[in-house]
Amino acid sequence: MTAPMSQCLMQMVQTDYALSDYQSEIAPRWCAGCGDNAILTAMQRLCRDEQLPPEKTVCVSGIGCSSRLPHYMNAYGFHGVHGRALPIAEGVKIRRPDLHVFVTTGDGDCCSIGAAHWLHAIRYNMNMTVLLHDNQIYGLTKKQTSPTSPHGLKSNTTPHGAVLNPLNPLTVTLGVANVSFVAQAVDWIPDLLYETLSKAYHHKGLSFIRILQRCPEFMDHRFDDWVRDPSKMRILTHADGLRLKPEVSRIYKNQETHDPRDMGRALAISSLNDEIPVGILYRDPSVPCYDELRAGERPNTPALVQTVLNEEFDKVGIWPDPATAPEIRE
Amino acid sequence: MQHAKIADGLPSQPEREPSVAALRPALFAGYGALDDLRYDYPLVLIDGGSGENMFRPLSRIIDDILQETAAPDSSGEALRQQVLRLEAKIRRRVMQSGPCQLTDLWRDCAAEFIAQTGEAPFGPLDVNLDKARQSLYVDGLVIDCDDKTPGQVLVHTWKAMHQAKARVFRKKVDGLTLRLTDILKSDHMKSDEAHGAEALASSMGSSGDGSVDFHALSAVLARARPEDRLPQDRVERIQNVLRVLQSQLFYGPGRASKSGPKQPKPYSYTFESCASALDANRDRLRDVLDFTKALTVAELEVENKYRPELHDPIFERFDESDLTADQIGLLPSALVCLRDGETDATEIARAFEALACGLQITVLIQTDDILGATSPEPPRNSFGAGTTRIAAMAMGLNNGFVLQSSSAHLYRMRDNLVRGMQYDGPTLISIYSGATVTAPGVPAYILSAAATESRIFPAFTYDPSAGPDWAHRFDLSNNPQNTVDWPEHELEFEDVKGQRQSEKIAFTFADFAISDVRYGRFCHSLAQADWTPGMEPAADWLKLPPETNSNQKPYVFGIDSENRLRRTVVDDKIIEAARRCNDAWCRLQELAGINNSHALRLLAQDRLEREVAARAAENTQSTLSGPPSVAAQLAKVAEDAAPPVVTDVATDEQTEDTPWIETARCTTCNECTQINSELFAYDENMQAYVVNPDGGTYRQIVEAAESCQVSIIHPGQPRNPQEPNLVDLIERAKSFH
Repeated sequence: MTAPMSQCLMQMVQTDYALSDYQSEIAPRWCAGCGDNAILTAMQRLCRDEQLPPEKTVCVSGIGCSSRLPHYMNAYGFHGVHGRALPIAEGVKIRRPDLHVFVTTGDGDCCSIGAAHWLHAIRYNMNMTVLLHDNQIYGLTKKQTSPTSPHGLKSNTTPHGAVLNPLNPLTVTLGVANVSFVAQAVDWIPDLLYETLSKAYHHKGLSFIRILQRCPEFMDHRFDDWVRDPSKMRILTHADGLRLKPEVSRIYKNQETHDPRDMGRALAISSLNDEIPVGILYRDPSVPCYDELRAGERPNTPALVQTVLNEEFDKVGIWPDPATAPEIRE
Repeated sequence: MQHAKIADGLPSQPEREPSVAALRPALFAGYGALDDLRYDYPLVLIDGGSGENMFRPLSRIIDDILQETAAPDSSGEALRQQVLRLEAKIRRRVMQSGPCQLTDLWRDCAAEFIAQTGEAPFGPLDVNLDKARQSLYVDGLVIDCDDKTPGQVLVHTWKAMHQAKARVFRKKVDGLTLRLTDILKSDHMKSDEAHGAEALASSMGSSGDGSVDFHALSAVLARARPEDRLPQDRVERIQNVLRVLQSQLFYGPGRASKSGPKQPKPYSYTFESCASALDANRDRLRDVLDFTKALTVAELEVENKYRPELHDPIFERFDESDLTADQIGLLPSALVCLRDGETDATEIARAFEALACGLQITVLIQTDDILGATSPEPPRNSFGAGTTRIAAMAMGLNNGFVLQSSSAHLYRMRDNLVRGMQYDGPTLISIYSGATVTAPGVPAYILSAAATESRIFPAFTYDPSAGPDWAHRFDLSNNPQNTVDWPEHELEFEDVKGQRQSEKIAFTFADFAISDVRYGRFCHSLAQADWTPGMEPAADWLKLPPETNSNQKPYVFGIDSENRLRRTVVDDKIIEAARRCNDAWCRLQELAGINNSHALRLLAQDRLEREVAARAAENTQSTLSGPPSVAAQLAKVAEDAAPPVVTDVATDEQTEDTPWIETARCTTCNECTQINSELFAYDENMQAYVVNPDGGTYRQIVEAAESCQVSIIHPGQPRNPQEPNLVDLIERAKSFH
């Protein structure tokens, strides 16, 4: 027996999870035509292909259309507080490093109310996969301008058109210290969405995927130009990034070989206006992870925690009789 | 034997001049006053040291300090001199008064140094020494080279390894304990007890003001409580596992010692004898099995992979033959220190038994006397005449790590020593301390270094984990000039005329032997005036075949107590022993691939064959011309005939008439399936396809194509020619073909 015994014994237990094992009893309540469905499917496909045990998988979300996703996954889920999906996910990961943590968040949840957590989560670089569902509008509350809404968008909050230029989640993320994985996908190319998600899952560290998604109710035809014209999609390929299947390659001929180590080029590609880049923009597996840096030499068992606390209290304790005072260890 | 006997007719021992009694090998002349020399001792056993820094000579530590603090130019010269003088003081202090902590020694010696110079506190010397002290990053026991050294070094190294293992062990066991406790806790949270009014009240703390009605709260929670409790057998299994993990006695609780339930003292793994180590191993086997089973079950449980129907039978049958190397490696290894002359002689047999059965054990065999008595002595606890070969014999067991070294070489062998301690299997370490009582006046360091130098006690390592063959496993590289029989050194001396002379002399077994008083009676020492041309250096003499009839007398250079050079003619007894010693050394060399007899024979044979072939080639030079390569031609024909590889995979294109979907591009948006779920369905990847072209109307197909966000539905032609408005629908469908 070369592998440790428990490994061998575990292999005796055959698991064969099908995609339906990750579908919850609740049918998705998203509007017909919503891009969230494609993202959910990609997630479920990934879980099936990686055979992730549902009890070892956690989806954490904030508030918004996108954040309903944990309800539709048959796994552990945490539908959190608005903008706070990332801190919750970090808490889960640091306490239970054995779990596979996915975070689904929207453009409002992540880039507006949760912006502070977003930046620090990138900097902490804990091992999890973050999916930013970016439909450029507040859909759940029926059409208000979000931080990523295009300039001039008429909405309930900006009836005369949005006055500010949109925030670019890609360039922001790329600019944060310790960034280790940034990719962009679109919901209308499910193959590449799945491939990107798979690469993100296998990356050690925080992998951030911005997924441009259609909202047929409130942002109808927003992405029509790109959906209908494959030449306006720039597909980033590389030996270390996405590798295209022939059938995808035939449709999407506008391809660029982009080394995910090239930060300068990643920033330039992220800033494109007329074309939508799809693929892995940046990847650096050597960035340290906060959860690993902070992992103590010993797990914090109750006995250890009690000992450490007692030692600290004893340092400042006043003992009337030196004979009964405990020994203080430095 | 044809050698001239010289022992006869020599003056007997008591009549010799007193200075000759203190005869030493000539090459020791430079090492008279060890306290002035910077060498591998005193050795600092570094607290918390690991790997390369398990222990370090004081001189190296001082060098590191000077490198950091003293400027390389003349401005740093004062500091350098002062720190080196402090180092000499520390060295002398350790030689005189024994082991002491480095920081204590530094403090005391620095104070003494400052007091001797008469300088005031905070004067230049004090400031300089304090500056150097700031760069002293390590502390530990400072030891000199004596009879206790091997034990001290080994115990220090073993303790460091034991602690490192304990850290790995605690991390693993604590992690599993925590996660198993979490599983039980989360199950408990669903119980009646956890939702009872009492539990709720206590979770609020004692400062509750009575404003919360916990009974009412409990009743509300009871309705919302999840029902999916863990199976009872799983709960019991986890509780059992936790009990075993928490009550293990292999390692102490470490830092968490002050909390938690009071535990009995953990097992000790240092033993006085192999017999007790073997007994303890047998007595603890039950615990080892219970613990290993619990650990494995715990690993399965935290992954939710324990299936009673599959795994219960395996754990019922589990016994010591199922223990794997990694499971044993997690538990402590034992340390047994044996000492020739003190330990009962039968222990050697038990040591070999312990090594042969592959226990996790490190056996130290310390030898203080490697030459042995020259005549029968009163019985004592001795491992016998083969003590110096124990390590070489142990290599034959093949499954153990073997290391042999003298005390003087321990620092150079530190990497090997650490590897031996980390080796997951038995380890035998044989160390010669140099503290031989029959070599008075020679410091243990010098004598132990000489033992390695003279090939009596070579330094070597046999590491079965290093590779599959001798070339990987056996290491003889730590010996001086390991490619020759005897290492050679330059000896400078003053001849009878007062001229400076220099001679290259080998350091042989005979040189080593003359420092032992018991061998004095086999030597005859001659002052320079008595030297005759009929003498031959022992190293040259030993090169001659034993049968050679020679009138020459073998000698080695010795010095008396006043460092006067003398030739010492040695007897057959010593020469025979030297031959045996050389034989053993050559065997080790062969194992290390140096002058390997098999290789040399093959080389000679190969050379001979090539010479014969070359001669034959000269004779028939013009007859050869290469035939055409048939194989190459055949290969070419086969290549030409091979069918071209089909690279273009023909896709199963749908006919124009039937409706179809580019399934791979489907975004699962539910548009089409909501129009008609009998017509459109999802595949195993949750992507849509046309499940039944006749499951709906052509109108529905066209509408689905129109509403599809990514335009991947191709309606084809109407299936039912009777359907109303077909002309209009066909027109609308055109853009999706």
